[in-house]
Amino acid sequence: MASPSSRAIDWSPQHWPVALYRFFTSFKLATIVLVLMTVVTLLGTLGQVDHGLHAAKEKYFHSFYFTDRVLGIPVFLPGGMLLMLVLFVNMTLGALVKVKKRWKGAGLLISHVGMLMLLAGGFVTNQFSTDGYMALYPGMSSDRVESYREWQLEIVPLSKDGVAEKAWTYPAESLETMRSDEQRIIRNESLPFDLVINGYSPNAVPVPTSAPIAAGVIGKEIDGFKLSPEKASKEAEQNLPGCFLEIRPRGGGAPIEAILWAGSYRFDPREKPMPFTFTVDDQLYGALIMKKSWTVPFIVKLDEFIFERHPGVMTARNYESRVTRLEEGEADKPLEIKMNEPMRHAGYTFFQESFGPSGSQPGDEMFSQFAVANNPSDQWPLYSLIVTGVGLSVHFLIMLVNFTTRSRKRFSPSPASP
Amino acid sequence: MTRFSVPFAALPFLSLFLVSCGGEGAPALVERPLSDSEKNFRLVEKSMDRFRYSSQPSADSSGPSGGAATGLVFDTPEGWTKKPDSPMRDINLTFGANGEGECYVARLPGAGGGLAANVNRWRGQMAAAPLSEEEVAALPTRPLFGQPARFVSVDGSFSPGMGTDQSFPDYRLMGLILASEAGAVFVKMTGPKTLVEQNSAAFDQFVASLTVNSN
Repeated sequence: MASPSSRAIDWSPQHWPVALYRFFTSFKLATIVLVLMTVVTLLGTLGQVDHGLHAAKEKYFHSFYFTDRVLGIPVFLPGGMLLMLVLFVNMTLGALVKVKKRWKGAGLLISHVGMLMLLAGGFVTNQFSTDGYMALYPGMSSDRVESYREWQLEIVPLSKDGVAEKAWTYPAESLETMRSDEQRIIRNESLPFDLVINGYSPNAVPVPTSAPIAAGVIGKEIDGFKLSPEKASKEAEQNLPGCFLEIRPRGGGAPIEAILWAGSYRFDPREKPMPFTFTVDDQLYGALIMKKSWTVPFIVKLDEFIFERHPGVMTARNYESRVTRLEEGEADKPLEIKMNEPMRHAGYTFFQESFGPSGSQPGDEMFSQFAVANNPSDQWPLYSLIVTGVGLSVHFLIMLVNFTTRSRKRFSPSPASP
Repeated sequence: MTRFSVPFAALPFLSLFLVSCGGEGAPALVERPLSDSEKNFRLVEKSMDRFRYSSQPSADSSGPSGGAATGLVFDTPEGWTKKPDSPMRDINLTFGANGEGECYVARLPGAGGGLAANVNRWRGQMAAAPLSEEEVAALPTRPLFGQPARFVSVDGSFSPGMGTDQSFPDYRLMGLILASEAGAVFVKMTGPKTLVEQNSAAFDQFVASLTVNSN
């Protein structure tokens, strides 16, 4: 930790650089940050009950600040991201730069490096890690991983058979920032029309106007449906966003309106996505909300999915997948992916996550679902703990040697004075 | 004390901060090639299909007890009559001398508006005061498809809506609502109060027989 400073900080403008340096290296700041991190961790843990895991992580730990109610009193607190940044700066400047370098302090220096690695690892995970899933029926193969929670809007030029070679994507990072009362006009010179997106809801369901519940839904009716915004689910992966889309042909002609809903994508790996189709300039196009996805640098083929149930009930007893990993320039590699025995390759980890389809009965063909994680700092917590542990051990040894040396000096018989 | 340069020391953190704040200014629409696993789409003409309403199997009114193609299998209680399904009703049954009693099963994707909203919509149809969230949460549960569904029973003057302003006095509405993020299921029976009372055991038998066809 940063060394204590008992002198008051002079905040007069000419002393700002020094004042800032002293502020960020102060031991008091480190103490306050650690106390606040404890509070935020407690609130974030309790917040998962109301918000769900993903939303709580975003609000409490990935934020610079947040507001909450503690015992009914509104509070404004720094978020986990800000606290960790401040602690990183404090520890780096205070413990590694400001502190005098002595052999006696080598152990503490090493353990601080370990803690900094832990903080840096958290930052790298936050910024650069990806997590998604891959679902396969036996015989199917894929190199594509889909996001659990991120949805994007896609425009695809379609053949009459429903085949598309390319897509224009409105990225999830942009779509998710839309408010329900916001309208965005999107233009791309490659397309003969402009797009107008409005009424975006992170979780929605289309309701037929013939359903009694539709009477209570405010909003436009298109093709016998209204879009009913729903309360966002605590389990963010269950949310199905929806929006209104207007296609405005640039060459003239009436605008085309549609409701887009994420439920038109697919719930089963064998399903094909169902876009809203329209024709502009004699070209058939499709518009849909679909999962953000990315590829891994190898193909996974599911050879066999072994699924066992407890006798007499539908509950799963064991499930595991036999796969073949296909990679250019490499021999095909047969592998097993089981609970707690993931496949790690090329920076990606495939965990046996779940199965489907839901409600399947004994004898039904089932698909296997893998959680696919890519985290460049996956092992950093382990490394940082090792470094911290080594640092503390070194510190302990130094202290022990000092103690025994001092003790020996203290108790060694002094030469008798003549 | 300040022999080392403070701005230099701050550079790594500044760059980290900038990385975390990046991402703005990306083009609105990004063109990308589709991989083989993304190229195929199912072309449907109607929103009904795209929103999975018509693809939901509906009750087979001609079969002896539900049907293999329905998606739902059930036993028709004695004295009840199967009616053709409608876009919003997976199973449609009537009972009573003149078919004045009605029971149907409907399913909606998503939470279908939520439990409290639907309970109070039903209560509104019976001219009954709405319940609070706490009162709705305290409603008794009965099993439906093996899960606890909220049981609603309301007496009053029944106004079915659906384009008619007719109301039927001394009616009873009895129903189950199973609302989850994965989907909502409604089983609703309405009719003259005495007729519904006489058929409450048949209602329980019908609900208990409801299963999803696995074929």
